[in-house]
Amino acid sequence: MTPSMNRRSILKAGAAALSLAALGAPGLALAQEQRLRFLWWGSQERADRTNRALEAYKAAAPQTQIVGEFAGWSDYWPRLATQVAGRNAPDLIQMDYRYIFEYARRGALLPLDEYLGQTLKIEDFGAANIDSGRVDGKLYGINLGVNSSSIAFDAAAWEGTGATPPTPETTWEEFAEAATTFGENKPKPGYYASADAGGVEPAFELWLRQNGKALYTPEGGLGYEPADAAKWFALWADMRERGACVPPDIQALDQLNIETNALTTGKAATAFMHSNQFVGYQALNKAKLTLGPYPKGAKDGPSGHYLKPSMLLSLSAATGGADAAVAFANFLVADIAGAKAIGIERGVPASQAIREALTPELNEVDTAMVDYIALITPGVGPLPAAPPSGAGEIQFVQKRVNEEVGFGQITPEQAGETLHSEASAILQRG
Amino acid sequence: MTMQSVATDLGGANAPAGAVPGAARRAWARNGPAYLFLLPWLIGFFGLTLGPALASLYLSFTNYDLIRSPDWVGAANYVRIATADPKFAAAMKVTFLYVVLSVPLKLAFALLVAMAFNRGLKGLPVYRAIFYLPSLLGASVAIAVLWRQLFASDGLVNMVLWQLFGIEGPSWISNPNYSLYTLVILSVWQFGSPMIIFLAGLRQIPTDMYEAAEIDGASKARQFWKITLPLLTPVIFFNAVIQTIDAFKAFTPAFIISEGTGGPINSTLFYTLYLYQEAFGFFRMGYASALAWILVVIIAAFTAFSFLSAKYWVHYDD
Repeated sequence: MTPSMNRRSILKAGAAALSLAALGAPGLALAQEQRLRFLWWGSQERADRTNRALEAYKAAAPQTQIVGEFAGWSDYWPRLATQVAGRNAPDLIQMDYRYIFEYARRGALLPLDEYLGQTLKIEDFGAANIDSGRVDGKLYGINLGVNSSSIAFDAAAWEGTGATPPTPETTWEEFAEAATTFGENKPKPGYYASADAGGVEPAFELWLRQNGKALYTPEGGLGYEPADAAKWFALWADMRERGACVPPDIQALDQLNIETNALTTGKAATAFMHSNQFVGYQALNKAKLTLGPYPKGAKDGPSGHYLKPSMLLSLSAATGGADAAVAFANFLVADIAGAKAIGIERGVPASQAIREALTPELNEVDTAMVDYIALITPGVGPLPAAPPSGAGEIQFVQKRVNEEVGFGQITPEQAGETLHSEASAILQRG
Repeated sequence: MTMQSVATDLGGANAPAGAVPGAARRAWARNGPAYLFLLPWLIGFFGLTLGPALASLYLSFTNYDLIRSPDWVGAANYVRIATADPKFAAAMKVTFLYVVLSVPLKLAFALLVAMAFNRGLKGLPVYRAIFYLPSLLGASVAIAVLWRQLFASDGLVNMVLWQLFGIEGPSWISNPNYSLYTLVILSVWQFGSPMIIFLAGLRQIPTDMYEAAEIDGASKARQFWKITLPLLTPVIFFNAVIQTIDAFKAFTPAFIISEGTGGPINSTLFYTLYLYQEAFGFFRMGYASALAWILVVIIAAFTAFSFLSAKYWVHYDD
């Protein structure tokens, strides 16, 4: 220490030493182990399974520590957007087909092409299931499971009222008829044959496909006319009027998740959902549920179904541990240990080898899902056009417009016009 | 080394000798420690309040999707809000209705309870604490969830209606005709903090005024209108301003009860909820910033109006 040093410089030196120590500590830790964050949406059931997979990975790769975070569907996207904007994106991001375009085109995701066939061994997914994770030709998402839209219903409750439960051949008209019978003989007040799917976007999309239309054109416009939407809203207005589905104030309690769906809350005997959610639905419902396809437009018409990635796994463009993250992703989708841990709750695995390896492990609920995918596969159509920018907002417009019809504020015709014009305006704004 | 000398030393470091005239140096020596103690707050204010606020003012003139860098668009966001945004109008309507209903009801209720307490209740501190409790809990997620349960179709409210009156009530929180009113009730229920302030105000009113009025034969109602209310106006004014600002900023109950949608049919689309949707739901941070600044202006205008009107109805005893 030189004589010229005063108290102030000692303070400065001390502060510098402290901050060096602070910088050094995580640096040292990094050398020993890689810490990655994994954010997903989903139910408690999914969280349990994912945590089991994280445990299993700890054994397989002790040098990588993966910290999981999860949220419900509607909280998930604000949280992800905030973290990405705050330069604090999770390394591993569970991604949805609708949002992958928004994130990939904004440069928030890491292209995975260079890992393909190297540390990411997903060749046996087949071209369709690999390409469903591509945006503008580059691979940004790894298929975590295949699903399709579907209905789940309490067949015993249907039969108890003398109504025929839906079959794969049931048309919308027959469905409405049977649901009306259900309503006339319902076992308890406030219980209905079906939830109201008029405000549920995937249900609308499927119905449009049955009628040769689509939600979006490949050019990014709307794939339907106001009259089409009006017919859809009229279908559900008729259901409500006949007491065949829940009234609007019950449907409004549905927050687009398993926990608040009218089936789970004991208000309806049928839910419109994604097939992979069957595991979650059965876990929350005491009654034995049956999984089946949507009612059809016409007996010999198309089912409207398509196979889609129920969810994808993406990497943040800003991740510091791309190699480790890819290794973990590979563990989930291509390693038996990882695939067993998450099971088929995220959808039926795209890999033939994994599906076969899992078969002996499947319980009744899982088998129903695999069988369902096998049942609809011969009749599925192509994956629809990528949702244009702004599509995320339109689902809320549809929900609101269906409520306006339900509460008698507008007619189905007006609803068709409203949805079409508001959706067009949102797409124009982008 | 004492705290004082550390503080003075650091103060000296910020104000190098020679550049500072003697008087200022002395003032600094006197006030420096105070600023040092204020430092945590100052850092918070500049770093967490003023800085982000100014950043959002800048962002309000841009298109900013949270991920890519912001694009300057001039006043386009403000023009859109003013001319082509039906949801803005819906949110305004909901928010104003909420403010206009919840603030007066809450204040009236708070005053009523405060007056009951002021009559000298046994065990007053206990009651005061119990009645204050909802104010502490009110903004919490748990209470919003509880409200959802209370006012759902098979909730407690409908159970009581059915048992006592044989009325089959609707699902209050998910019916656009009633949903906002359940939130108004939730707000009124959190009357604790204005109630405490009213109670303090009531204690300030000299009892000899009431005695004099009593002797002159004034009824209780007349005493209330001619003594209590006029002398309480400064407290009413304070409560009204604070509660109005709070009501404009209401967010949590609507967010939890409608799961962030503002539904059914935008009936609980509070302004802050709409702002939140735009920012984090639809990636329009620039637009949301513009919305936020409009809210700032509205609240400021309301507050300014309150202060201007105060000289006509608020009586200070000096």
